[in-house]
Amino acid sequence: MTRPTRRGFVAGCSATIAGMAGARFPSLAFADPDVDINHEVLVVVFLRGGMDGLNMVVPISGADRSTYVDARPNIAVPLGGADSALPLNGQFGLHRAAQPLHELYQSGKVAVVNATGLDEASRSHFDSMEFIERGTPGVKTTGSGWLARHFISAENLPPEIIMPSVSVGNLQATSLLGDRNTINMSSPGSFNLQIGPWEWRDAQRVALRHMYAGDDTWLHASGLQALDAMDIVELNASGNYTPSNGAVYPSGSFGDGLQVIAQMTKLDLGLRVATMDIGGWDTHVSQGDDGVGYFAGLMATVSQGLAALYTDLDGSGDENYTDRLTMVVQSEFGRRLLENADRGTDHGHGNPMIVVSGNAIGGVHGSWPGLGPGQLFDDADLAVTTDFRRVLSEILIRRMGNHHLGYIFPGYESYQPLGIVSGTDIPPDYSAGGDGLFADDFESGDTGNWSAATP
Amino acid sequence: MKTLESNRTHNRRELFDQARNRAARAIEETTTDRMNQPGGERASHMRHGGRPSRGESAKALPAPPSAAIIALNRLGFGPRPGQIAEFNALGSTDAQRLQAWVDQQIDPAGIDDATCDTRLANAGYETLNKSLAQLWADHVASSPQWNVRIQPYYEIERATLLRAVWSKRQLLEVLADFWHNHFNVYGPDSWAAPVWSHWDRVVIRGNALGNFRTMLGQVAQHPAMLYYLDNYTSSNAGPNENWARELFELHTLGADHYMGVLRQNQVPTGPDGKPIAYVDDDVFEATRCFTGWTFDFDTGLFEYRGDWHDHFQKTVLGVSIYANQPALSDGNVVLDEVAFHPGTARHISTKLAHRLIGDDPDPAVIDAAAAVFEAEAAAPDQLAQVVRTIVLHPSFLTTWGDKVKRPLEVVASALRAADGRFSFSLAEDDTGTLLWRYDQAGQPLFAWRAPDGFPDHKDDWKSATPRVMTWRILNWLIDVRNHNDVHRLNVLGQTPTAARTSNELADFWINRILGRPMPPAERLEIVEFMAQGHNPDFDLPLDSDEDTRDRLRSMVGLILMSPSFLWR
Repeated sequence: MTRPTRRGFVAGCSATIAGMAGARFPSLAFADPDVDINHEVLVVVFLRGGMDGLNMVVPISGADRSTYVDARPNIAVPLGGADSALPLNGQFGLHRAAQPLHELYQSGKVAVVNATGLDEASRSHFDSMEFIERGTPGVKTTGSGWLARHFISAENLPPEIIMPSVSVGNLQATSLLGDRNTINMSSPGSFNLQIGPWEWRDAQRVALRHMYAGDDTWLHASGLQALDAMDIVELNASGNYTPSNGAVYPSGSFGDGLQVIAQMTKLDLGLRVATMDIGGWDTHVSQGDDGVGYFAGLMATVSQGLAALYTDLDGSGDENYTDRLTMVVQSEFGRRLLENADRGTDHGHGNPMIVVSGNAIGGVHGSWPGLGPGQLFDDADLAVTTDFRRVLSEILIRRMGNHHLGYIFPGYESYQPLGIVSGTDIPPDYSAGGDGLFADDFESGDTGNWSAATP
Repeated sequence: MKTLESNRTHNRRELFDQARNRAARAIEETTTDRMNQPGGERASHMRHGGRPSRGESAKALPAPPSAAIIALNRLGFGPRPGQIAEFNALGSTDAQRLQAWVDQQIDPAGIDDATCDTRLANAGYETLNKSLAQLWADHVASSPQWNVRIQPYYEIERATLLRAVWSKRQLLEVLADFWHNHFNVYGPDSWAAPVWSHWDRVVIRGNALGNFRTMLGQVAQHPAMLYYLDNYTSSNAGPNENWARELFELHTLGADHYMGVLRQNQVPTGPDGKPIAYVDDDVFEATRCFTGWTFDFDTGLFEYRGDWHDHFQKTVLGVSIYANQPALSDGNVVLDEVAFHPGTARHISTKLAHRLIGDDPDPAVIDAAAAVFEAEAAAPDQLAQVVRTIVLHPSFLTTWGDKVKRPLEVVASALRAADGRFSFSLAEDDTGTLLWRYDQAGQPLFAWRAPDGFPDHKDDWKSATPRVMTWRILNWLIDVRNHNDVHRLNVLGQTPTAARTSNELADFWINRILGRPMPPAERLEIVEFMAQGHNPDFDLPLDSDEDTRDRLRSMVGLILMSPSFLWR
């Protein structure tokens, strides 16, 4: 199957629209095939439940190794043997089940950032996820997600863009909350209305769009968003998908979801952001001893998935997407240093973030706070030395070209690059509303073109 | 083209303006609170009384319809044919009708539910009334096949849909769904599924209009919850804090009354002299109180193991618990303290108001409900009184369009309005197909994995997957041509012979499904779809032409997919 070209897609749209008297795909009608809408792609993977980062990025030497082994007599990831941690440097190793990720690390495509997290003292799953995904630590009532605010403030987003973001799963990710252009779906194959009496489907679809275009309530807007999403997916992604370069995704919804992201990326419809979740990390009980068991299974799934997505997108020439691909993996918090009596771990604090990118500056980054006495948060958990917003801000500035940190992360004003991805540094704009950016014709409302708001 | 571009930009700009305002507020809140007081950001949430509105700013919303429409859609799963008239016969004003209807509904035993009971009996369920011991013996201890082990879960999944569609005790059904999610347990789990009918019947339904403390006590001792949140394994030698943490954060005081790693003596006290919030140390101390609360894996019954219990003294929410208290005493003291804490009254009242009224309820409703929750804390019908207070508040009838039907409500209300006839038995293939389709819409019953339950806020349900996947179900429900399927919606059989023009057909089915007129522009789309360019007052060849009959089915699908059908 040849990949549909953007020009072919738009031409196809036009023909369809002519046939449908303009009723079915109006949101696509203005696409200009001469504008290259492709840019950086950011994939945000959220590990829900509090991933045990100390068993993913494992201390392998010195006093911290002894402390770690003493604190985790059963569940520590061993050194040596078939399940040995895989060294990242002299100080840390990756869980054995993360071998596919380790291979990428060895080729310099993985940046590990230690001891990241919230500057909030919360051990609540739900608060922590809200704080992170809304991008406002301490405030879970912020009405939009940080990725939605990235889109609102990005200056390099052409109006022709067809599919700016995809949120894979049954519900739209909170980080994209408020973004009406997001396509939220689990599987493109069933994301359509090819059901019901066939001879009236098209007319029904026209009427449906008219009904949802008939008022401007939030519900009408959400209906139009769904109709637009369906149009785009149905026209572009209804066929079977075959991964490239021999990539093999893990079976199950995580692998399936990442494959959808690869498929959407290759459509060349301008995808900038994709989100994907995998749950099951709340390992209070029996997480697996000696580097094997339940946690190892989850770790294998995640690592295989990330590696498969990277491989799938790592072609040459027009098929090379990894040059503009950045994946970031995070969880709401880490887990306690001490294993509990059920050979599990309870809610903790600091945790690694993992960045996989064709533009990664490979290595272990961030300041390691240590596991010794006086070094732990609340005398129990790995401390946080790197605000999670710092990692995301570096990706926003260096890869996505968006420096409006004050708008995306209100209240955050201490950004310094860690050096986890390459790219051009732009001085951050900490103003909350980005007023310098949107002061003139954007505010007056007479522009019909989003990019006209660019200074 | 120009117009379309402008629309797109317009959306973005609105979003930007809204988000900017909120961002400014967020900064203000964060900085001032943080500077002024310890744990200040928490305190700011408490002032707001939970999760304030988020997402879109106030925009055009539909005018509130009659009390019958509001009550049947928000306190139930939508009207069945004839029920709006029944509701309206209950009084001469909307307020009277609502009060009379609510008074019936909060006493479900007083409602004759024979139709539903007959259907439940005909569905052939075997596990609905088994005792906990019997469930364990039949579905766990005998090491049966997987489909037998999980049978109670499958039956409750189907019985829940059956009741949503057929039971006249609609408020009970809505509240059962509420409490299932409040005390969320992942039902398909291999330890929860075999006891699911007991959990549903006794713990959830048995207390949904009862007393909160009583319900909490049963929750804390049920094997489904003991397993789900790991307390079954918690002992003096190896305490596990999972249950204790969610008990505070989700089940009782709520995260709005959490002050993180502050020390217990740093938490301000309220007028009653007790701490206004909990901290991690309360979670740890409560964990110790619940050590030894487990269940017998041979019988499934709750078991207290004194040899696992931490007998030494503890302090929870300012209360000293002395060493060496009698069996169960420590845990019961914790349950008393959290169940009767003012924060719990607010947390539960807020969640109920969000469910029954809207995402941004009048703060006075929450104040009133919380006051009743506290004052009636010992009453056997405490929760019924709280619910009554919420739904009889004047703002109940003036709020509309602040909620959207979630997949369960879409499917149940469609089957009610257009009289779907699934048997919901385990054996029926069409029921299996319906459930397979339903699960893809994002709200598989009792299958939310995290302990916070399915989200309730409209922001979580307005994205494309719930919309598209429920539209697909609706268009499947009307698509019965060439299928020997008597369970989906029999559109033709229910269309009166007097209705043959496009206008008549549209108006009959709009009234049948919505129980009220559609906004004119929306109705016009329905009529024009049916007329297909012809005069809408001409008779259509419904009785002779298959295409026309298909078009009528699609028209009914369109009404079910309309914005008007989704409002709550």
